[in-house]
Amino acid sequence: MSTITPPRAPGRSFTPPPAPSKLRETIGMLAVTLVFALAVVLADANWPRLLEAPAVLGEFVVLMTQGVLQNPLEAPTNEYWTRSLELMIESLHIAWIGTLIGAILSFPLGFLAARNVAPPGVVVVVRQILNAIRAIPEIIFAIAIMLPIFGLGPLAGALAIGVNSVGTLGKLTSEAIESIDTGPVESARASGASRWQVIRYAMVPQVMPEVVAYWLYRFEINIRASAILGVLGAGGIGSILSALFNIRAWDRIGVTLAVIIIVTLIIDAISGSIRHRIIHGAAPRGVRRRRALTPEPPPV
Amino acid sequence: MIEFRSVTVTYPDGTVGLDDITLDIPAGQFVVVVGLSGAGKSTLIRSVNGLVPVTNGELVVDGSAVHGAKGRALRRLRARVGMIFQSFNLVKRSSVLTNVLVGRLHATGFLRSMLGWFRASDKQLAFEALDRVGILEKAYNRASALSGGQQQRVAIARVLAQQPSVILADEPVASLDPPTAHMVMRDLQRINRELGITTIVNLHFLDLAREFGDRIIGMRDGKVVFDGSGVQADDAVFERIYGRSLTNEDVLGADDVEAAPVSLTSDPDAAAR
Amino acid sequence: MSASTAPARRAITPPKRPLPSWRLPVGLAAVVAITVWAGISIEFTLTPLITDIGRGEPVVRGFLDPNWLFIFRVWDAWLETIAIAIIASLVGNAIALVLAFLASPVTNPITPFQKTMKAVMAVVRSLPDVAYGLIFVAAVGVGSLAGILALIMFNIGVCAKLTAETIDAVDPGPIEAADASGASLARRARFAVLPQALPGYLSYSLYVFELNLRASVVLGFVGAGGIGSTIRVELSRFSYENLSAIIIALFVIVFALDAFSRWLRKKLI
Repeated sequence: MSTITPPRAPGRSFTPPPAPSKLRETIGMLAVTLVFALAVVLADANWPRLLEAPAVLGEFVVLMTQGVLQNPLEAPTNEYWTRSLELMIESLHIAWIGTLIGAILSFPLGFLAARNVAPPGVVVVVRQILNAIRAIPEIIFAIAIMLPIFGLGPLAGALAIGVNSVGTLGKLTSEAIESIDTGPVESARASGASRWQVIRYAMVPQVMPEVVAYWLYRFEINIRASAILGVLGAGGIGSILSALFNIRAWDRIGVTLAVIIIVTLIIDAISGSIRHRIIHGAAPRGVRRRRALTPEPPPV
Repeated sequence: MIEFRSVTVTYPDGTVGLDDITLDIPAGQFVVVVGLSGAGKSTLIRSVNGLVPVTNGELVVDGSAVHGAKGRALRRLRARVGMIFQSFNLVKRSSVLTNVLVGRLHATGFLRSMLGWFRASDKQLAFEALDRVGILEKAYNRASALSGGQQQRVAIARVLAQQPSVILADEPVASLDPPTAHMVMRDLQRINRELGITTIVNLHFLDLAREFGDRIIGMRDGKVVFDGSGVQADDAVFERIYGRSLTNEDVLGADDVEAAPVSLTSDPDAAAR
Repeated sequence: MSASTAPARRAITPPKRPLPSWRLPVGLAAVVAITVWAGISIEFTLTPLITDIGRGEPVVRGFLDPNWLFIFRVWDAWLETIAIAIIASLVGNAIALVLAFLASPVTNPITPFQKTMKAVMAVVRSLPDVAYGLIFVAAVGVGSLAGILALIMFNIGVCAKLTAETIDAVDPGPIEAADASGASLARRARFAVLPQALPGYLSYSLYVFELNLRASVVLGFVGAGGIGSTIRVELSRFSYENLSAIIIALFVIVFALDAFSRWLRKKLI
């Protein structure tokens, strides 16, 4: 990276050590620029439209703001707000049930994917399954598996989100299990506890707070995912959103986006503070080392 | 009664932990094992409850064989042999009572233990164990809220709740300050005297070893190099066990609470914290 | 010797069980209540798994017989998807870095401005990628440009937040040293903060790039170009053999990119 110029030595001449070669960085930058240029050509995008975009977007924003600023108690604006809120709550329901399904399924899988619990063969197989699930967007789960069996609706969306959550949650759970303090496990085994009893009394109490924090984090992500599935017709706020864009009802779009933003911000704040309390609040100072709320950005 | 008959322990990487040990430890004895780290004292203790498997020879505890024991038989044996660790090994987020009840898991069925519905008699045993180490009133506190000395007493209570015939203690006071260390050692000795439980303790402080050991076993390179009473174990003996001259590091130091009897009501660790 | 306790046990009275904290039961009750409410609202049932599993049969049959050739017939859609992801990640992450510096009190001492930037970031992050997709399709028309713009917004939301949190948590030592040597705000950010935040930022950027591939599938559904548009068309034609081939290919590409970005991460950090 960069080096700060050393202070000039007074008087006497000296030879500074040769600067480390910048060749690698130069090549890296060149490669990135090249890839970017190639992508710009291959993207087949209508680049000239980019120039018009600011004006058009500005117009949209004005129209949407007008919708939001209309008296929310008067017809028809009051209808817009209540309808959007109803659908947003349905989205929350989809996300909640999806997260719950993900949590219930991922908990045992997390143990099966932890090297300090399951035999190596099982760990490898379960990890590959979890990786595979993580690689597929939930929209594929929804269209490929859930829609044909459960039909178009919120239930299919919830199930798709649930199965998709298993990948990330299972991985994070297994990592939490692998990083536990092994002392209690040893002492439980030394007092004659069975395998299940060791898991129940020495492992679960240690990982539970972190795992619950992951569930909440996943719920925040799933709220956004449920909006996506709505566009497919799986219920919730997404379904009305695409319908409104089709008829270009900008005032209603403004209201709907406002509802999404407000509700999401509120839920994020509540969930964030619960997560903080679970991880940091309850443990007395100094006993547990402080760690970041999001240990690693869990893949969406 | 614990009988070692030519016991050898070899670790998977080829390290020899125990080298042809033959020992008898009669019931009710308070044995202190000394030696440098790596001398095999931890292996000796851990072989008694099968945490370290015996490679060769026979190891019998109260008539049941430890060598080759597996599954249910091994768990049944471990239930009768309690163990205390240097780092206490408590589940810090669980309550003191739950930690002590871990000692009753061997006698609790699958469903009961999964649901956490312990029998009233088991809870009574846990309370009695906590009372015996003087921290009954902490039963519903989180383990993490206790001082080091108190946590080690919870660990002792967990072992007592097992109703063991043998207690193993692997460097039980190495993480404690001198006054607390003396107190914990005295608790162990008192339990040994009152309940007649055979006790084997690993220590590396020679003054503690002399003060508490009915019998001292010195180990070096996986072999027993000294076996005698605390009186016989003078400095020359320790120098032979350690293979070097003694230093201040080998002595725990002043026992400034010598005169004070172990009190069951006040919190003796408060001063040590 | 402490003879204070006689070997014969005296009767002991266990301490009173303290009232359990209200938080746990109240929390559990809330969870159950919300679950019941949500379950009723979305008409939760698993019976179709048994009764209607047969309806999935043609789908499964199609999926078991992927039309491999189709992968290559739509190769331009693949290229488009990857190009969209690359452009959107580079641009989005660059903007996110600037935003993150403006949104952290460590690098931006003008409190009202910093708080505003933080709020802007939260709002940007709260909208799902589909909403951006719909907005930009309306603004610049159907095609990959809309997808690029939507993903840029999405990337800013994810990357700026994570990077700002990293900046908040940098070691204050070098900053004090820079201050002590009279560095300007910009220099301080460049030489005392950036080197510390860079590893985190690079790792988030790669993470965002991985997300983009999956997200661009979703955006294709609302007309924002890439392989998602192809998936939508094939879905409406019920040609599950083609869909199966695409999904398997997507799978391989995501895995390959994951491996590539793990390698790159190791090189860079």
